[in-house]
Amino acid sequence: MMEGAYQQSVLRSNISIVWNEIIKNIKALLAYPAIIVFWAVFPIFWFIPFILQGEAFVGGLQSASFAQITGSGDYIPFIVIGAVLNSYVNTLLYGMGENLRREAYQGTLDYVLVAPCSKAYVLIGKAISESISSTIFAASQLTISVLLFGMNITLAVMLPVFFITALLMLGLYGMSLMLAAFSLMYKQSYDLSQTIGYIFYIFAPVRYPVESLPTWAQIFGKLIPLTYALIIIRSIMLLGTDLSAIYTEVIALIIIDIILLLGGFYLFNWMEEKTRKSGTISHH
Amino acid sequence: MVTNKEGEFFNIQTIDLTKRFAKKRHRGIFGFLRRNQTNNKHSDFTVALDKVNLEIRPGELFGLLGPNGSGKTTTIKCLSTILIPDEGRAIVNGFDTQKETAMVRASLGMVVGGERTLYWKLTARDNLTYFASLYKMKRRHAKKRIEELLEILQLADRADERLEDYSSGMRQKVAIARALLHDPPILLLDEPTLGLDPGFARQIRTQIKELSERMGKTVLLTTHYMDEADQLCDRVAFINNGRIVAVDTPNRLKMRVKEKELVEVAVYSPPADIESHIRSLLPEAEVVKLIRGNENEGDPSRIKIIGGKPEQHIEVIIDILRQKNVRIGNLNVGVPTLEDVFIKLTGTKLTEDKT
Repeated sequence: MMEGAYQQSVLRSNISIVWNEIIKNIKALLAYPAIIVFWAVFPIFWFIPFILQGEAFVGGLQSASFAQITGSGDYIPFIVIGAVLNSYVNTLLYGMGENLRREAYQGTLDYVLVAPCSKAYVLIGKAISESISSTIFAASQLTISVLLFGMNITLAVMLPVFFITALLMLGLYGMSLMLAAFSLMYKQSYDLSQTIGYIFYIFAPVRYPVESLPTWAQIFGKLIPLTYALIIIRSIMLLGTDLSAIYTEVIALIIIDIILLLGGFYLFNWMEEKTRKSGTISHH
Repeated sequence: MVTNKEGEFFNIQTIDLTKRFAKKRHRGIFGFLRRNQTNNKHSDFTVALDKVNLEIRPGELFGLLGPNGSGKTTTIKCLSTILIPDEGRAIVNGFDTQKETAMVRASLGMVVGGERTLYWKLTARDNLTYFASLYKMKRRHAKKRIEELLEILQLADRADERLEDYSSGMRQKVAIARALLHDPPILLLDEPTLGLDPGFARQIRTQIKELSERMGKTVLLTTHYMDEADQLCDRVAFINNGRIVAVDTPNRLKMRVKEKELVEVAVYSPPADIESHIRSLLPEAEVVKLIRGNENEGDPSRIKIIGGKPEQHIEVIIDILRQKNVRIGNLNVGVPTLEDVFIKLTGTKLTEDKT
């Protein structure tokens, strides 16, 4: 082996793995440029049914009964925040398993798995690149919300929002690792990710305030990282609450993240070992 | 490195390497109810490798020759840590494949699955840059090494084109470049010329030879092309049904079939029962084998008869073929190939029938 070719810090080589994984996925994505136009334009159409539906139900873009529950009568920004964060759920849960399945189908998975590096960094790179579509989608939706609905977005508001979004993504990475593990073993994760996505959609307050759910469902919803992220971000962006005032939700989100990440890595390594024994690792 | 009793060094060694795969049975929707009906546990498994013992010396170009499904790829996958063996051990560059996985992975480069195993939407340079990062290569070194390999493999001019625009042979060269990226001492090449046109296959063979002779790499090459193994390999192991049947140099293996023992007849459109018919009339022949060729493309079928007295066989064979109205292309006595030895040892053909 080449002398000197490997003498770099562990941190640097791991960052390089994540970076090159992201670049590889972006380049592969750019081979189909039309999809980016779709992501950027789709949110404009996404708003139209909500505006029409809201106007038909409450006679305008403000609702007094909605204000009683949430503290803000403006329901469109409420739903926008729900949709933006939920789009991260959908792309991450679906994306990682599919990314691995695609690698197996292409025949590249064997080569990624037998490289002498920690697969965790490859998977982190995959997760980040899968988040790119959601980020473009989110940026588009927030821009429209600012321009059309006067949503207040300042740096002071956005910094804690980015922080909480990052925390949400960590938890979702953990879940997507679990789904990737299932994809490795059972060669299918789409149905499972769709089911989990729907569970999130119903039990986390994506489209309605958490108070609209029955008590048992609210308790179940407290196990979902998206619930905390939505509560915190809406409090910051719509009610102007300071992060320190909702620290219990932040701590709960961090604890769930740690459990999901540890569980995700454990399950992935376990399933990888199992498929190397069964000889099905490169099946698809 | 590992040594045997004589103190000889090996870069690759397998000791009773065994791998079984569970058979997938489609039992229908309620199949789980019938799951435990069979008493024979072994019938639920296919033995892919059965106590395989190999010893490959540093710098050796070693061929693993066998028909499809004989265990060649499984051997490579066990050595490369893609698969975990059920029994036995494999030692690569002195490291145990099950205990020192990372060191084994860093010690070898592999070409398994060929051109399909690359990112076709990326360029050759992008593919190599990505895999260099997985091997934790410094950016500067990786860049230099990639340029070097692109030059060696004559890909430099088209390095920034997407692989989807490459020919199969060019993509196979990129796969070889990837295996060489981190300059490993050991290369595992699984059917590297499969599906390539003769020109590219020749280029790849020349490069494999150079890897061993000029760069001192230890190469384990699997193939079912007998000419390839004969031309390239220092030593060859025959593998059939997961078992190693013979290991020796190609010349010494060929000596196992005496020149005058072999009769080969090229024929067109032989009837299905010709093999059994000849066998019944030549009981003293050890092997009678019909290998079907692709006659539409001018590649005749071949009947091989090994053992007995060829001068007597010729007369009988010609009579039978005339009776059956089979057109004879040509008839040869002698000059055995590795395939003849393989047929003699296993009774099985190396290559698939082409029709």
